[in-house]
Amino acid sequence: MTAQTLSPVAISQIEKELEKYPADRRQSAVMAALRIVQEEFRWISNDVMQEVADLLGIPAIHVYEVATFYSMYEHKDVGLYKICVCTNISCQLRGAKEILDYLRKKTGIGPGETTADGRISIKEVECLGACGGAPMMQVNKEYHENLTPDSIDNILDGLDRHD
Amino acid sequence: MIKKAIYTIKSLFLIELMKGLSVTGKHLFKRKITVQYPEEKTPMSFRFRGLHALRRYPNGEERCIACKLCEAVCPALAIKIDSEVREDGSRRTKRYDIDLTKCIFCGFCEEACPVDAIVETRVFEYFGEKAGDLYYTKDMLLAVGDRMEASIASDRKQDAVYR
Amino acid sequence: MVSIEINGQKIEAEAGSMLIRAADAAGIYIPRFCYHDKLSIAANCRMCLVEVENAPKPLPACATPITDGMKVETRSELARAAQKSTMEFLLINHPLDCPICDQGGECELQDLAVGYGKDVSRFSEGKRVVFDKNLGSLISTDMTRCIQCTRCVRFGQEIAGIMELGMVNRGEHSEIMTFMGQAVCSEMSGNVIDLCPVGALTSKPFRFKARSWEMQDHDGIAVHDTVGSNVTVQTLRGEVLRVLPRENEDINQEWLSDRDRFSYTAYKSEQRLTTPMLKINGEWKEADWQTALDNVSSKLKKIVDEYGADSIGALASPTATLEEFSLLAKLMRGLGSQNMDYRLRQQDFRADGAMSAPLLGDSIVSLECAKTVLLIGSNIRKEQPVLATRLRKAARKGASISAINSTKFDFAFPLQVNISVSPSSLVATLARLAVIVAAKKKVPTSGTVEDIAESCPANKELEGLADSLIEAGNDGQIIVGSMAQMDGNYSLLVALATIIGNISEVKFGRLEEGNAVAAWQASFLPFADRGTVGKNATEMLNPALKACLLFNIEPSLDCIAGNSALDALRETGMLIHIGCYRSEEIEELAHVMLPLASVFESDGTHVNCEGNMQSWKAAVHPQGEARPGWKILRVLANYLDLDGFNYTSSETVRDEASPLISTTKRTASMDVYAPVLVEQNRLACISHLPLYRIDPFTRRSQPLQQTLDNPPAAAGMHPDTLASMGIDDGITVELANGGGKIDISVYASTSIPLNCILLPTALQETAALGNANWLEVKSRA
Repeated sequence: MTAQTLSPVAISQIEKELEKYPADRRQSAVMAALRIVQEEFRWISNDVMQEVADLLGIPAIHVYEVATFYSMYEHKDVGLYKICVCTNISCQLRGAKEILDYLRKKTGIGPGETTADGRISIKEVECLGACGGAPMMQVNKEYHENLTPDSIDNILDGLDRHD
Repeated sequence: MIKKAIYTIKSLFLIELMKGLSVTGKHLFKRKITVQYPEEKTPMSFRFRGLHALRRYPNGEERCIACKLCEAVCPALAIKIDSEVREDGSRRTKRYDIDLTKCIFCGFCEEACPVDAIVETRVFEYFGEKAGDLYYTKDMLLAVGDRMEASIASDRKQDAVYR
Repeated sequence: MVSIEINGQKIEAEAGSMLIRAADAAGIYIPRFCYHDKLSIAANCRMCLVEVENAPKPLPACATPITDGMKVETRSELARAAQKSTMEFLLINHPLDCPICDQGGECELQDLAVGYGKDVSRFSEGKRVVFDKNLGSLISTDMTRCIQCTRCVRFGQEIAGIMELGMVNRGEHSEIMTFMGQAVCSEMSGNVIDLCPVGALTSKPFRFKARSWEMQDHDGIAVHDTVGSNVTVQTLRGEVLRVLPRENEDINQEWLSDRDRFSYTAYKSEQRLTTPMLKINGEWKEADWQTALDNVSSKLKKIVDEYGADSIGALASPTATLEEFSLLAKLMRGLGSQNMDYRLRQQDFRADGAMSAPLLGDSIVSLECAKTVLLIGSNIRKEQPVLATRLRKAARKGASISAINSTKFDFAFPLQVNISVSPSSLVATLARLAVIVAAKKKVPTSGTVEDIAESCPANKELEGLADSLIEAGNDGQIIVGSMAQMDGNYSLLVALATIIGNISEVKFGRLEEGNAVAAWQASFLPFADRGTVGKNATEMLNPALKACLLFNIEPSLDCIAGNSALDALRETGMLIHIGCYRSEEIEELAHVMLPLASVFESDGTHVNCEGNMQSWKAAVHPQGEARPGWKILRVLANYLDLDGFNYTSSETVRDEASPLISTTKRTASMDVYAPVLVEQNRLACISHLPLYRIDPFTRRSQPLQQTLDNPPAAAGMHPDTLASMGIDDGITVELANGGGKIDISVYASTSIPLNCILLPTALQETAALGNANWLEVKSRA
């Protein structure tokens, strides 16, 4: 695990976010800043939280509070592909458990784990607002609905082709 | 006139004396209640409140946590406790003294104790030869507890059903 | 004002204010945990639910604004049911460890559980466990007990001004912690102990020492700063176990600085001096008071007869009491000497005659309403922590606060202008400000001021500062702090600040350490007596006196030039040490040691920066043979055959001290002298006094010494200065000035101006340096 430092690109992106808010309300940009950080590193380390805090001029613990409150911020390194499987009521009724089981069969990992090659992480999440297409999962930023074992095969096979 | 006659008859036949002797005679053949102390002892309640003891847990750890509730409740101000942080970080007594010459054996300390550490045993035969002998320190109280643990434990067990 | 009804009782209350406030004012108690009248409203504990007419559900009284005609029931069936249910939820995860909890007996949760709790919990699942955090040497934690009221978080955010604690995670996983497990370093951190309604945050030095119900409370006054915070000293069997703040809205509200709260831990130090000691043939021998005082008085008399009264002097700690200052002054004057001083860290005494007492110029409360505040040579957060919270409050109300310092300090409030210049330019900057203010007010300034101002060109910052000072007028406040006092141009700084204050009509305040105001009130100053002027702290040590009386000081740490002070005292024929502690250096130098009772063991009086005289009574008996200072001095005076020392109580001493001259009167303009400048090619030394090194008492308080506010001795320099000299950050260098030299590691900091060295004083490591205006750096190969 190497120490993370914000790239100039990320800093300029955060600065752009800051423009949206009044000069004395810099803390408003904290969530956006953390999103930018996560996009850069896939996860958020304490070092970079300190950097964000210094950039926004707020206490580090305040950044830490926000980063730990929202479950979409990662505090440990995750795989290249973060698969978020919804296990809330609609998806559960439509077989979310089977989806998780099938994913485990395919990848060999369960929720909260990352494959040994660091490619895929699976995460169990709460409702993502796609109940109409249950069961569903989110791979990085993309939603996949009405999942079946076949469609999961397709999705997993197509992962590398996307990039 | 008649009164005098009755008195004469009574005193002539030693009736009063016989009455008294009959009581003596009755007791001569009754079961004896005298106990040959110290060879013999009267039966004792499991709630008897005698000499104090500090108990230990089966693993040898002293029970007392220095909460000082016994000290607070003691109506005779006979208990004196100093507490400290023990090396392992737990709360323990540095000093636990009971002045048995002040104690009125009310049993409040026993009732107040949240961990059954301070108890009153069945021991009542203890003495001191000089002033200060009846000032029991923590070590003495723990020693009493170690000596009496079997009887203390069985007494508590018997009493437990009434609590 | 609208009228509402609480429990059928008609109450007049301000519309829009919160229900709980009106209820409190009317004496109706509503249970609460997260609400605190000095903190913002969080409404997260839900304990204060009450029934409001026409509201479908119970409402939290702490977050329900008052409207006209509101009818509230705090004890109705619905309200009580809601409160009881809240309590049941709170107790789900709260451990049943009251017997070993230090909060037991003074716990808000425990108290309310008696009224609202159930005998048996319906919750049969496992309770949650939260790991304890290490918050440093002052606060101990039992985080499983936390009920997430967030009072501690809000205190840091709102009152102390540095947010160190935060609530991380969410829902059942939420817990209070610091970022990456750092220790808390706020100088007001101890207050979270009082704020915590449960036993999650408790005092570490007090941990498991006693229960709240068994201690005796004694009213006391804290002497370590010029605020005079009201405290409650709690004792058990003649031992001080805890110091808590005592509420006083006009002074410390309900806060207390860590220094005042935890310094009691030093009063039973192993180094306490407990019997009078005499040095006989180089050996220390215990003596009784009679022998010791006999010895002192006969030798003093002899020296006065032989060398004259001017050959003796007295140096006292600024934390001495009014009574002690008073009697010491009277004793010295009785012997015919004017040599007395408490300003041990001051170098520049040129303005002695013109200087007025170190007062704020107004009440402490008025600080909150100030519109503009200018801090000069002051790290007020560390010097007067309680005043800094008032300033922070002012800043939150919109006050513009500025600082002109020789280092950029981290204040707990935003600054309008934050100027940090080298000590030499400090005077020029102030002079420039004076010139600008004068120009704006169309008042002439003296030529000297303009000469001094020459080296500092006018800039926007100073213009803006001048504008806001003039605009604020009487709502403004200038504060010259203790850091300025250590500056080589102190008299000039005070004079210029006075000029700025007088021209802009802003209130002028000068703050010193400890009980300095009492020293002024007791005339414990070399120039206080009309007629002859005695020697000040520096002159007394150079050249050495024939006899010197040290009152509770450690010369190498308490005097600005520690090394030269020691040299001088080594030559003193008769050195009398009246103090709480013995130390190696005192044992080497002194000829007599007289044990002094500490503030907890002696009656005393503190005069704070508003001129407010506050007396206290001894809380415990002195250690060993130690005696209160006023008694020692009274009896010593009797031995010296001086008249007028037949005091029977500390009050009679106090009442004799002359009343202070008006505390709000403006100081007349003072003379402006030519500044003492550091030579161009030399590095200027900025001395600063670490928070917990100010007196022998705090220096011996282990918990305070272990805090982050007491960093290891190191000299700070601007990275560019370091680079220009080719010195790396973190290495050890040799620092030297005329008086001595030391080895010390250096660190880089951009808050320090170029060509300056920021050096902590009152440390063993830096005491070997002499008078400290400039320094030479030698890199050690």
